[in-house]
Amino acid sequence: MQREVGTLPLAPALRARLAAAGFQTAQELLDTGPCGLSKEIGISREEALEALQVVRQECHGDAARPAGGSGATRKCTALELLEEEQTQGFIITFCSALDNILGGGVQLTKITELCGAPGVGKTQLCMQLAVDVQIPECFGGVAGEAVFIDTEGSFMVDRVVDIAAACVQHCHLIAEAQPEEDLRKALETFSLENILSHIYYFRCRDYTELLAQVYLLPEFLSEHSKVRLVVIDGIAFPFRHDFEDLSLRTRLLNGLAQQLIIIANDHKAAVVLTNQMTTRIGQSQSTLVPALGESWGHAATVRLIFHWDNSQRLATLYKSPSQKESTIAYHITSHGFRDVQPPAVTHSTEGAEPNPRKRPRTEEEKQ
Amino acid sequence: MDWDQFDLSPKIIAALKKADIKSVKEVLNLSGADLQRLMKLSSADIQCLLKTVSHTLRRNSMLTALQLYQDKNHFTSQHQKLSLGCSVLDNLLKGGIPVVGITELAGESSAGKTQIGLQLCLCVQYPYKYGGLESGAVYICTEDVFPSKRLQQLIDQQHKLRADVPAEIIQKIRFGNSIFVEQAADLDTFQQCISRRLSLLLARGMARLVVIDSLAALFRCEFGPAQSALKARYLQTFGAQLHSLSTRFRTPIMCINQVTDAVSESEAAQCSCRVEGSRVTPALGITWSNQLLMRLMVSRVSLPGHPPGAASHCAGSTRTLSVIFAPHLPPSFCYYTVQLEGVKGIK
Repeated sequence: MQREVGTLPLAPALRARLAAAGFQTAQELLDTGPCGLSKEIGISREEALEALQVVRQECHGDAARPAGGSGATRKCTALELLEEEQTQGFIITFCSALDNILGGGVQLTKITELCGAPGVGKTQLCMQLAVDVQIPECFGGVAGEAVFIDTEGSFMVDRVVDIAAACVQHCHLIAEAQPEEDLRKALETFSLENILSHIYYFRCRDYTELLAQVYLLPEFLSEHSKVRLVVIDGIAFPFRHDFEDLSLRTRLLNGLAQQLIIIANDHKAAVVLTNQMTTRIGQSQSTLVPALGESWGHAATVRLIFHWDNSQRLATLYKSPSQKESTIAYHITSHGFRDVQPPAVTHSTEGAEPNPRKRPRTEEEKQ
Repeated sequence: MDWDQFDLSPKIIAALKKADIKSVKEVLNLSGADLQRLMKLSSADIQCLLKTVSHTLRRNSMLTALQLYQDKNHFTSQHQKLSLGCSVLDNLLKGGIPVVGITELAGESSAGKTQIGLQLCLCVQYPYKYGGLESGAVYICTEDVFPSKRLQQLIDQQHKLRADVPAEIIQKIRFGNSIFVEQAADLDTFQQCISRRLSLLLARGMARLVVIDSLAALFRCEFGPAQSALKARYLQTFGAQLHSLSTRFRTPIMCINQVTDAVSESEAAQCSCRVEGSRVTPALGITWSNQLLMRLMVSRVSLPGHPPGAASHCAGSTRTLSVIFAPHLPPSFCYYTVQLEGVKGIK
């Protein structure tokens, strides 16, 4: 109750006004009440009510936690964070090379951005992930549901059906090879209709609809708490025309990125965005770079760039906080996203099967 | 904007009117903090405003993939496609041209692009049962005169091409009446055509196919390499407008495009041109490719015994139709010929 006004989590402008008006402790604020406060420092009654609510929460939090520390922010040690991160689920992509360079797959609570020229496979990977997120836990999946926000109209449900059927088939084969009861039980609910009914599809036709949809996402995710994947395919399309004022575009994109980070963290979901490529004209040659500008590059935690090398499709991990930059080859078959050849058993694995949750050992250690 | 119709408290409505905010778009373009400053409301009120406005804009917009899959309604279903009039070509495309989105048909000159375009204009007029969309077509020419004689030939021979359709149905359709031909030789005319005439025809339901022959011709002369940014802006604007028309009226848009020589190996590989001896890439670059849903390429196959590149005038010269990229199709190709009655695939 004797907290100084300067230590309360209020807006700096408000704190300055309180100091100028002579308030020194939280108790004085609470005693004045909202009407008196709004008259004294010249703010609206609603703002005064809000400020007092914050103050009350603070003091309540302080009383309950004698060790002190602000109640608004979470305090935990790096060890706790490490343990949390290691139990974090990954959404596998069925291309083991890609899963390996990502450290296990597409990570939950992070934003992953897929960039590439048209036709290289971004939408294919998004559809694959929308199916793979639903794989039951006993098969190594996260047993979640998917939200698919489509801005380009490239979501073809027939293709999703092919991918889902192949995934179900794959799980059936695993269940046959290892006859365990829980595998068979899980397969009962892992059917084509079930998979399709847990992909929630939203079609946004311009950036206003996209912004509105993202404002509504937290509520949707609270109602559908099993959603573990939010795909926005593509984020660039609605923002690349119709913007005379590029600073407005940057502001809107930054706001969008912030909201998506909050959504990813609060609901333990992976957010996957697809981006286009644009030409950057340099001194002597032109190169393809991801669209939406330099500042957008900071929005995603993980960035994958897909490109061609003659007729082989390649994926490069361009930005990641924990994995090194590497390039792998992949195929898109009628079953979906796959490796180029069956994954070789590497000598860096322990046990019968590479555990997708372990990070692969870096090559430098061996040399 | 009539804010009273929204489910908002009177205080918020008064603040909106006072701050002179006129549309939902303006509300969403401002950040939460900006709105607080402008309207002098608390953050809880602003959150309430944003949620209500977003709800109103996105009411009832969720579908599950299962609902999409099971949708059998002719107008809304994803399974509905525009047939090309030949079963071999339809098999390559798993039914035909998707109804929503821009499909590009690129190829060298005299490869058969206009023929396919004309054939689609006739196919769209058939009933849903026979792969059509029961409506007319808009054909926008940008360089050549519209080939009306060839169209008449095709109309006369429809019974031969579409042997699967009963003769009385073919006779009842007045093909010529429902094809609207527009000439647009420069960018401004094209812009006018799309924004006024096209949206009018589509809104009235008189057409459910747009063929643009060809887009590259508009850009060839007017833009040098120094004006690539301006060219890109035009392409993005056209692409967005066509995309929006296609989505609103569920109308396939077929853009015929020319090809240019691929300067490097990587460029040619990018469009997966498997045609022997040719290193071509569709014109207009990556800016235009980003607007497309599906890209098809046609080319002439040089027959053994004929020198490559020599125009083969015999009626049965073989051509290939390849799928370069599509979200629902693997890269594949098939052969076809151009006959008197139209374009027919070869098994």
